[in-house]
Parts: sequence; C-alpha cells; structure tokens
Amino acid sequence: MTHEWKDICSFFMAALLCLSSFGCNVVRITLNTSITPADVSFIVPGQTTLAEVVAKLGAPDSIAASDTGIVATYRFLDLKYSRVNFGWLVKPWTPIDPDLIFSRTGLGVDAFEVLYDPKWVVLHQGFQRHLIRPPFHPYPFQQSRGSTPHELPPFSGPAIMTSHG
Amino acid sequence: MKPSRRVLGFLAIVLLLQGCAFSRGTLGDEVQSEVIATIQKGTTTKEEVLHLLGAPDRLLPLNGRDVFQYYRYDAKAGSLLLIILNFTRLSIKSDDLFVILNRDGIVEDVISSKRTDGLKFQFWPFGD
Repeated sequence: MTHEWKDICSFFMAALLCLSSFGCNVVRITLNTSITPADVSFIVPGQTTLAEVVAKLGAPDSIAASDTGIVATYRFLDLKYSRVNFGWLVKPWTPIDPDLIFSRTGLGVDAFEVLYDPKWVVLHQGFQRHLIRPPFHPYPFQQSRGSTPHELPPFSGPAIMTSHG
Repeated sequence: MKPSRRVLGFLAIVLLLQGCAFSRGTLGDEVQSEVIATIQKGTTTKEEVLHLLGAPDRLLPLNGRDVFQYYRYDAKAGSLLLIILNFTRLSIKSDDLFVILNRDGIVEDVISSKRTDGLKFQFWPFGD
C-alpha cells in the first residue's frame, strides 16, 4: 500500500469514526445536591435536633405535619439522558433523512425524610427510594440494575407517614 | 505513525465548528440575608414578617403553628455543541426560608439556606 493510499484510508477512517458519533447527545440535569447515607450518618434519632440537621444539610424543601410530629423532606434529582442517532451514518449517501435513535433516560429522583417530634428532635430518618445513580447508557433494551443490600442505606426506623391537606 | 495533514485538517474543521450555549432561569425573588437576620425569634410578629418579606409562597399549618415558606429557584445550563457530540448540563438549586409562627403569631423559629450561591455553569455531564 502506497503512502498516499494510507493517507486516504486514514482520512476515511477518521470521517467514519466521526460520522458514527453524529447525533450523540449526553444531557444531565441535577436538582439540588444529592444526599448520600454518609452525609446523614451524624443524625442520631432521639438526640439530633432540627438546628443540627439544618446546619449540615441546609433548609429542607418542604415541611409537613404528621400524626406524631413534623416531617422535613429534602428532594434531589440526578437525571441522565443519552441518545445516539445511527441514522447519521447513512445520511451522506441517501437523499432522505433517516433516523435510528437509541436513547435512555434515568430519572434518579430521591428524597431524604426526617421526622421530628413537636420539640424538633429527630424521631426517624430515611431515604425514600434508595436509588442508585443511573449510568449514561443509551441502549434501551436492557433492564435496570437493582440495588444490592450493601448499597442501601442502613434502616433507621419505620416508614414515615405524612398527613397532607 | 504520524497523523496525515488531511486527518488533522478534518479534525481542525470539526473542532472549529463547535459551539457553546449558556442559559439561565430563575423562579421567585431573592431573599436578602440581611432581611432574614432582622427576624428575631420570640419577638418578631407575623405582621412584621409580612412587611419584611411579603406574602409567603406557601402557607402551611403545622400542629397548631403557621409556617411561612419562601423559595427561589435558580437554574444554569451549559451546552457544548460539538456537532458530532453534544454535551448539556443543567443544574438547579433552591433557596428556602421557613418562618415558623406560634399560636400567638410570634416567630418561633427561622430555617433558611442559600444553595444558589455555589451554582455554576457546567458543561461536562459526567462525574459529580
């Protein structure tokens, strides 16, 4: 193979590589900062007060009344979206505008709830959904991986029931 | 093997065609820290809170108390449009203020946090 042919092959290989990536989108949306079990390990039911929780986690997103006290909720979101359009591969060689799109969205919505007694002392705390951060993964035909027991935060009390309205 | 001029030229053209986008959205008015500091537990009244902060965004009944909630959302989005590959990152954070009033209409507690101070335009969607 001559030197010129190597150049031409390299050019087409680079062009094909770029074309195969055409139409790729990676999007991430975050709402507030995600709270991890390590971030809330300082909370001791029966001892920790609202002031101490607010000092470390900030103000909650909502406060609601419950039968036994007050529930403060911290909401956070880590949405990941990725999309690949394989139709771009044949666009240079066809008069139509073909699309073959693979995309996947991982919502990653979770909330951390703290139940206080009327004197603002923590009774219970817990995460709402125990979600693992979703990966960027445009392939839509695969089942999401579930949480394994060691990835879940420690159980700290019964489920929190709020009264709304 | 050295990359040829054609390959480098092609990559240079691709890189030159890149674009950036900045977007921002806000919801609600900013509550000044100085105003929050003037609210005193045990002395400030409901009327004074309303005079200082205006009507609350939400009013919550809480076991005999009233809770005034004020919030503000700030969103910053950065997009890197590389034609062959697009990255977008949208970060949203909120400032929340809760003023808890007792049955007599006196401030019992004030809970506030300002998360939007550290909000930045980001493009890279991976990592933290």
